[in-house]
Amino acid sequence: MSHLHGQDPRVIIARRCAQELRDGEVVNLGIGIPTMTANYLPPGVNVIFHSENGCFGFGPKPGTLDADSDISNASTEPVTLLPGAAIMDLATSLGAMRNGYIATSVLGGLEVDQEGNLANWAHKRQGKWWPGIGGGMDLCHGVPRIIAALQHTDKHGHSKIKKRTLLPLTGRNCVKTIVTDHAVFDVTAEGLILREAYPGLNVDNIRSITEADFAVAADFRPMQL
Amino acid sequence: MSINKVMTLEAAMAHVPAGTRLMMGEFVGAGEPARCIEYMVAHKIGRLTLIAVTSGLRGDFLMGKLFAAGLVEEYIGTHVATSTEASDAYLSGQMRVKEIFPMGTWAEKVRAGAMGLGGCLVPVGVGILDAPGLFPEMTEPKRTIEINGRTFFVEEPLTAEVSIIRGGRADALGNVEFRYMAAQNQKDIAMAGKFTIAEVNEIVPVGTIPPERVGCPGPFVNAVVQGYTLEEQHRLYRDNWIKLGRLPKLPEGEEA
Repeated sequence: MSHLHGQDPRVIIARRCAQELRDGEVVNLGIGIPTMTANYLPPGVNVIFHSENGCFGFGPKPGTLDADSDISNASTEPVTLLPGAAIMDLATSLGAMRNGYIATSVLGGLEVDQEGNLANWAHKRQGKWWPGIGGGMDLCHGVPRIIAALQHTDKHGHSKIKKRTLLPLTGRNCVKTIVTDHAVFDVTAEGLILREAYPGLNVDNIRSITEADFAVAADFRPMQL
Repeated sequence: MSINKVMTLEAAMAHVPAGTRLMMGEFVGAGEPARCIEYMVAHKIGRLTLIAVTSGLRGDFLMGKLFAAGLVEEYIGTHVATSTEASDAYLSGQMRVKEIFPMGTWAEKVRAGAMGLGGCLVPVGVGILDAPGLFPEMTEPKRTIEINGRTFFVEEPLTAEVSIIRGGRADALGNVEFRYMAAQNQKDIAMAGKFTIAEVNEIVPVGTIPPERVGCPGPFVNAVVQGYTLEEQHRLYRDNWIKLGRLPKLPEGEEA
């Protein structure tokens, strides 16, 4: 991505997503770029991280010798438990996701569209839908604020921000904010609103790489990274 | 009391012939019954229907080996690609997957099986997972029901001939204590199986586990087998995490 001057687009997305998190809220981070968000929380913002395998309040990775085989996150990476952490069984953890106990979730996506539909669990491989749902669909169903975190275009330069995604959905009309390595959009009843662009990019730059229709916010500004 | 459910691995696994409908506690490699899995691989116990929340962790690690060895005929869970071994078995057509469930739906189906319910009503994925052609091997369309103006899937319970769970400590009565996130839904899985094996890090005298720390009461367990000790288990996971780049390597000469 030439506009990033060699920076890792995933880090840009994770950094910008972290600014969306609110002090004190319960947050679930999906696999991949979303997980990286935890590394970039702004000063003064502390959140309770939920892990779908059954925990509120996990913390950073331990040292190699301190890793406990029974303390890991939803991707089975070793984590630590912060003071005040709480462990629950799997059905309870998924119930928390389905029934509104998680305030915000950052999820990766294969595609997202202007109606806030998110597709992140299946694409066609050898004629079959692959790979799997995991907890993503429960989050899209029950979490009031879903932030879609994804690269703006695929490796061929095609927009992942669609007018209408044709992939099997993870959730319908669930995405509230889209954060990419180029832009930040809000999803509203009237459609997408472009709120920010990567520093140095203008509205025409964003339009040229975005399939979806969007309006431009009155206070449109560069990302503050 | 004369109850003693402690058995050798061989005696317990004699209840798991080829073709068993098997439910297993795990979460992307975590909390897996390592020695029971290794026994199945060594004895090539195949044609399994495996009910597990994910398809394990990649890196030639524990449950993933069941898929790599071609022992799983059908998988019932939420994800076919948490391990490359399961993904390959699915894409090559060697392993059947009729349907993939959202994780909360899967957990409630197991819970329904555990609790003797007729099923559960789940709103997640309505209008998405019932799209025609999404799961070509499904023989009947997903059933729905309207309650108070909302639509739910009617999801049947999941049960198994044999369930295998992994705990921290257990006693001869079959009481199992879990450690941290390895609790998962191991207790539900124990209750959903006709014959349940608990593989644990440590077998302790009856009365050792405080009653309020019993995560799976003994009556839900038929066999207790000695698994890897906690230290051995930590080393097993640490080595795989280092191999996958999830933990830094230990400095030269430093041993746990």
